Amino acid sequence: MIESLLLWVIGIITAPFFSAVILKVKAFFGGKKGPPIFINYYTLMKLLQKGSVYSTSTTFIFKLGPVISLGAALTALMFLPIFGHRPIFSFEGDIIFVLYLLGLGRFFTIAAAMDTASPFEGMGAAREAFFPIICEATMFMILILFYKLTGHLSLVNYFEGSHPVYLWDMAGTSMVFIVIALFIVLLTENSRVPVDDPATHLELTMIHEVMVLDHSGPDLAFIELGSFTKLFFYSTMISSLILPFQREGIFSPYSLLLGFLAIIVVYGCVGIMESIVARYKMDKVQKFILTSFALAFFATVITMEFIK
Amino acid sequence: MSLFFISLLIIASGGVLSPFFKHNFTTMKFIAVSTMIVGSIGGIIDSGSKLMSQSATINSCDYTASLTYLKSFTLSFQLDSLSAFFLVIIFAISLMASFYSFHYMDKPERSLGTAVNYLFFSLLVASMCLVVTASNMIAFMISWEMMSLSSFFLVIYNYKSKENRRAGYLYFIFSHVGAMFILSAFGVLYALTGDFDLSHSFASAVSPISNALANLSENQKVLIFILAFIGFGSKAGIFPFHVWLPHAHPAASSHISAVMSGVMIKTGIYGIIRIYSLLNFSSPVMGANQLIIGNSQFIGHIVIVAGVISGILGVVYALGQNDMKRLLAYSSMENIGIILIALGIGMIGVSSGNTAMVIIGFSGGFLHILNHSIFKSLLFMGAGVVLHKTGSRSIDALGGLIKNMRITGTTFLIGSLAISGLPPFNGFVSEFFIYMGGFKGVGMTAITVNDASVAGFAVNQFAMSRLTFGTTAFGIVSLAVIGGLALACFTKVVGVVFQGEPRTRAAEGVNEKGVAMLVPMVVFALLCLAIGVFPELPVLMSMNAISSLNISNIGTESGGASVIEITTKMIGMAGTISGAALLFISMILSVLLLRNFAYKNKPVTTSGTWGCGFTKPTVKMQYTGTSYAASIVEFFRPFAPIHEDHSPVKGRMAGRSHYQSHVNDIAELYMDRVTLKPVLFLFDKLHWIQHGDIHLYIGYILLAIVVAMFFV
Repeated sequence: MIESLLLWVIGIITAPFFSAVILKVKAFFGGKKGPPIFINYYTLMKLLQKGSVYSTSTTFIFKLGPVISLGAALTALMFLPIFGHRPIFSFEGDIIFVLYLLGLGRFFTIAAAMDTASPFEGMGAAREAFFPIICEATMFMILILFYKLTGHLSLVNYFEGSHPVYLWDMAGTSMVFIVIALFIVLLTENSRVPVDDPATHLELTMIHEVMVLDHSGPDLAFIELGSFTKLFFYSTMISSLILPFQREGIFSPYSLLLGFLAIIVVYGCVGIMESIVARYKMDKVQKFILTSFALAFFATVITMEFIK
Repeated sequence: MSLFFISLLIIASGGVLSPFFKHNFTTMKFIAVSTMIVGSIGGIIDSGSKLMSQSATINSCDYTASLTYLKSFTLSFQLDSLSAFFLVIIFAISLMASFYSFHYMDKPERSLGTAVNYLFFSLLVASMCLVVTASNMIAFMISWEMMSLSSFFLVIYNYKSKENRRAGYLYFIFSHVGAMFILSAFGVLYALTGDFDLSHSFASAVSPISNALANLSENQKVLIFILAFIGFGSKAGIFPFHVWLPHAHPAASSHISAVMSGVMIKTGIYGIIRIYSLLNFSSPVMGANQLIIGNSQFIGHIVIVAGVISGILGVVYALGQNDMKRLLAYSSMENIGIILIALGIGMIGVSSGNTAMVIIGFSGGFLHILNHSIFKSLLFMGAGVVLHKTGSRSIDALGGLIKNMRITGTTFLIGSLAISGLPPFNGFVSEFFIYMGGFKGVGMTAITVNDASVAGFAVNQFAMSRLTFGTTAFGIVSLAVIGGLALACFTKVVGVVFQGEPRTRAAEGVNEKGVAMLVPMVVFALLCLAIGVFPELPVLMSMNAISSLNISNIGTESGGASVIEITTKMIGMAGTISGAALLFISMILSVLLLRNFAYKNKPVTTSGTWGCGFTKPTVKMQYTGTSYAASIVEFFRPFAPIHEDHSPVKGRMAGRSHYQSHVNDIAELYMDRVTLKPVLFLFDKLHWIQHGDIHLYIGYILLAIVVAMFFV
């Protein structure tokens, strides 16, 4: 329990560091030196020291938005096995709770954006409401496969097992499909290229960044921390899939190092993706996300043929 | 005479009395509302105690009442836990709706109209109560017609508007075509069994399953069920029989919409469940020694597919609406879809002997019936306050209302969160259970039979388990998509109507006076949160409700998990949901504390919204609800064609122009082409029979008598 709590705290504290890895990879591809690796900590500290400016159009929902989205992300992380270690809480069906919790965070992010009466934020909100719908279909398709394999609906049963290559053993190569599908979901849910470009210069083309235009100070810091945590959540999930952890002695330096490396690989892939792919046109994005559903669907169909 | 009938009498007497007090508007309202409240409280006490006195495994049937008229037909009423569950909902919502109406109906100049409205309101409530307790076909049909007619008069309350008269007409036709299907289902049943009784579906030791019912063949049962499904479906608003719904709900006054959407359409669901229970589908496929897969195995699959279609199309059409109450009406269709998915999961559980699916599926569906009636009534009441104060139902004409209508806005927000199925509100709890039931179906494997003589059975079973996997997986994924779409739909309503800046003059300077309208909304909002955090009691209620169906004893024979095991497991699940919700709430509170700490001694100023460099923004630049929903609706284009109308640009200087768009409902679009046109064409061809010649008419009568003599 203490170990789980410790890992949860480590996860939250290191999440901003991992996000900086993406920036570093992008800088490498661009032939630049890039910002310092601790840039996100500096930003968070700076924001936390500031005050805020609120739009006259906003209400209490605007102030509630960052709190709920951060709270949802932090709670979600409590249910995820980090480095294959048992999470703080788990129950049968916790994955559904976690997915809907992240949905709640999204509801309030959208509501906070609509609160400002800004046309740009409304536009971003409409996109934020649209794209994750397909992601949810994908996530539940993946869950159906996982349930068929393990007979459980809990993150613990997928990512914390006594057997090292638990899911791969049963589903074989169709797991590759799942990894790719989850990666697409990660890109969409966390507003990365090619779905959304967090570094674009034009408000019209943003999705997530435009929605937080009017937030400032500690509120913005909360939002940033929330999205770092959310990205960490999805990356840990994928890294648990691609790397079968050593189960004994979680706190051995070897397994910790391996865990960190696997997560860095996932973040590195996001960075590489951002460097070599341009953002898609808005009407192409849906097809890109639908690909993830197709992958999950066919992975399930293939696996169903093997387990009778 | 029991408390139940006394309550009904009190409710009805208030309604009947109110037209006599039309000269004193306030007294009249006071009498109508107070009798309704007193009657409903009596009803809740009665049915609630009956529901809760039951343990999940012991069925008991409570009082029966019957009345024989002229020795020719009998009206009989009975109450079991299923009826009691619906009665609790009916009484609770009606109580709140009548309380709400006290300040909502505030036009003394329409005193008589208001009195008549109360009369039909009380009749509607009383007849709904009779529908869910009727235990023979005649009593059922009479109450059903009373319910349809009284709600018809409530729909045409504003009969001066042509649109409302059309809505009433549409509703009238749909409810009667539906009644015709129900009647035909009853007719087939009577022809085969010679029995008017519905009471076999009521849990009681007095009436065990009659032989006639048990002797019905598989296909006969399926036929009866399908007929009843269509008939009740037209009341519940199942696609494509929902066409009346988005017309009737905006036409009725808001507290009536709340009752109609929250409760009345659920009587359709009640009918489906009652017929399902009566036909006793569980008997023929019990155990592994059944060689043939009967057609009744497919009923669950049909219901799930119907639910998915209603659910997804309902919410897509809801997204495309600009009229708040129409949007809510379509969203009711969506929720009926969710309930059907749940019931379908339960039915598949019945036909495959999977106790877990039966209990979790049905009770998840029942819980959603309860939850939907709470948050949908809340949302209709919120829309009613907005309509009352601004005079507009158009989403794109409003904006920023939460600033002056704090209670309405906040409760509407809570209702929206609940209807989107988000934790820690009640919608999440029921959707969680439906998911759990669905996953049980996904995980179901075929019963392995090693005996060579039943090899054919094994193959069939295998195919059946595959089909079950496919259908339940389809249901689960659709439920996820419905959840996402509902989130988009209700962020649109909250975001455009209650947030931002007022878009027109109508939305400026509003207030929320009228305490009677606010109290019910606050109560409902608190209920949404309470059920979301402490779901044990409602879960117990819905499990008690299914205990009286003929289905809950399944599984014990076929060696699966016993009912008691599953029941304890469900209570356990409710407990974990409660724990998770509390965990999340405490997390939010600690983040809030952190936020307060971070803002200590910090400068906080206000300014205009950042216009991205533009310095003279106007309220018209805000994103509208239509554009918010456009890309999502576009995604579903084949099923939701967008109709646009604008004048082409002519010449170099653009002149006056207009633009309008609306999302078409394909059921409505094709109802005209596929159903009405052929029927009219057919009757046009038969026109020559009606020639107006009296002699030939007499000839017809003679001919009819002669023909009849051959057959009778």
